[in-house]
Amino acid sequence: METILEARALTKDYEDFSLRGISLEVRRGSIAGIFGPNGAGKSTLIKVLTHQVPHRTGTVRVFGQSYEEHEPGIKNRIGYVPQEPAFYMDRSVRWTARFAAPYFANWDGSCFYKLLDDFKVNPLRQVKHLSGGQRKLLSLALALSHGADLLVLDEPTAGLDIVYRRALLDRLRAFVADGDRTVIVASHITDGLDEIAEDVWFLNDGRIVTHEDKDELLSRWKWIHFREGALPRAVEDRLKNVRRQPFGSSGLTDEFCELRDELATALAAGDARLENASLEDILLTQIKEE
Amino acid sequence: MDPILRRSLIWYLLHLMTYSGILGRYLIVGSWQAFEIIPLFMPVWLISSVVWSEREESYAFLRVLPITDRSIVRTKFMLILSITVVYWLLMEGVTLARQGSGVAGGPSTLTFITLACVYALLLGACFQVGYWRFGASVVTPAGVVYMGLNLALAIIHTASLRFEPDWPVLAQSAPIRWLSDSLWLSHLVLVALALLVFYGLMRIGFRIKTSSEACL
Repeated sequence: METILEARALTKDYEDFSLRGISLEVRRGSIAGIFGPNGAGKSTLIKVLTHQVPHRTGTVRVFGQSYEEHEPGIKNRIGYVPQEPAFYMDRSVRWTARFAAPYFANWDGSCFYKLLDDFKVNPLRQVKHLSGGQRKLLSLALALSHGADLLVLDEPTAGLDIVYRRALLDRLRAFVADGDRTVIVASHITDGLDEIAEDVWFLNDGRIVTHEDKDELLSRWKWIHFREGALPRAVEDRLKNVRRQPFGSSGLTDEFCELRDELATALAAGDARLENASLEDILLTQIKEE
Repeated sequence: MDPILRRSLIWYLLHLMTYSGILGRYLIVGSWQAFEIIPLFMPVWLISSVVWSEREESYAFLRVLPITDRSIVRTKFMLILSITVVYWLLMEGVTLARQGSGVAGGPSTLTFITLACVYALLLGACFQVGYWRFGASVVTPAGVVYMGLNLALAIIHTASLRFEPDWPVLAQSAPIRWLSDSLWLSHLVLVALALLVFYGLMRIGFRIKTSSEACL
């Protein structure tokens, strides 16, 4: 499948934090999720990928082109929603749209106002009087109103209530439904986003810890709940994040396929049972192991 | 019209109007001292335009739009240059018009006005680059301090001219008289040098704007 965004050996330095040699590829038509704890470097990575901030070394190519040579062309095809969207705060929502519209080749004003209506954002209000969540929705409306082929969202669900969060997830699914458009989301919480992400990157301390197809990742990682002494010692020793409690213990494994035979007896006897792990469980375990 | 230009232009035009309306009229009705004093205020007005325009600029929002840093830098610099030319034309025009009545000081006044405009142009460009390099939180206070000092000095100069006629008159100082001896040549050289330095500052602006995050 065609690569729509390609980053190679990206580095970026701040006083107290660095992105360390990040390489990634995002396929056309996919939803890519970049997850990690606060301070892992997700926002910095997203800013570098969308050319909001310069990077020190490495390359970024979007739609096969570099920002250095084709910045306006690339940005015309990207809808970017920052973690904390910036606007001209003293101006109205309508003024903001009028300001931005001439720069986009395929601006669709009716789509923008329809989205504002859906999001219940008053176009006559000054931006400074909008809540954080409404500013995010305004940013999303701008990103969705110029025919973007790639949507990049940084912490998109932060500040949104459950209704808008669900509506956002539905919109993202609809956005990629035709297989031509792509979404990249970065978040410190997997709440809801793990449902829609197909490719998953875990970021910690400025570098990628894991990159895997989500389905493969979830098929490898399982919770094993077991009665004390029911599992062979060799199996128990290979479990991660083991929690021992009076009524039973549990541990996480990323080697479920390899352990399947050794677990068979305990599973058949009802002394152990399996449960799917969530992305959050996997992320936390991997960070602990770091 | 480019939206960035349109938004900034409002501040520059507003300042130009207040300068022409409040101070510029003294060039038309005032005595020879007006031609000594009024050009000294021009850099303050230009820096104030830059400060007001940058005060509410949102570079983080502009970064989301399909605009290059180069085009932003070019727009801002062309605005500073164009508006300085308008100030210069206005003051030189009135000076030439009033030379006939013997009020304005002749070639040395024309040179003095040109020097004031060159100074304002380059200072305005430096402030603009400063906003990209250090951000509004640093440069705005610096701009306010500069404007305060410049205004205070201009007022002291005005008072000194009123009470002590021998007070050094800048427009008649030796270097300016020397420059005005060959008016066209000195203007040509001054303008060429100013444009060269201005272009150099714009190149620095390109580099700083693309590499600095202070204004975001």
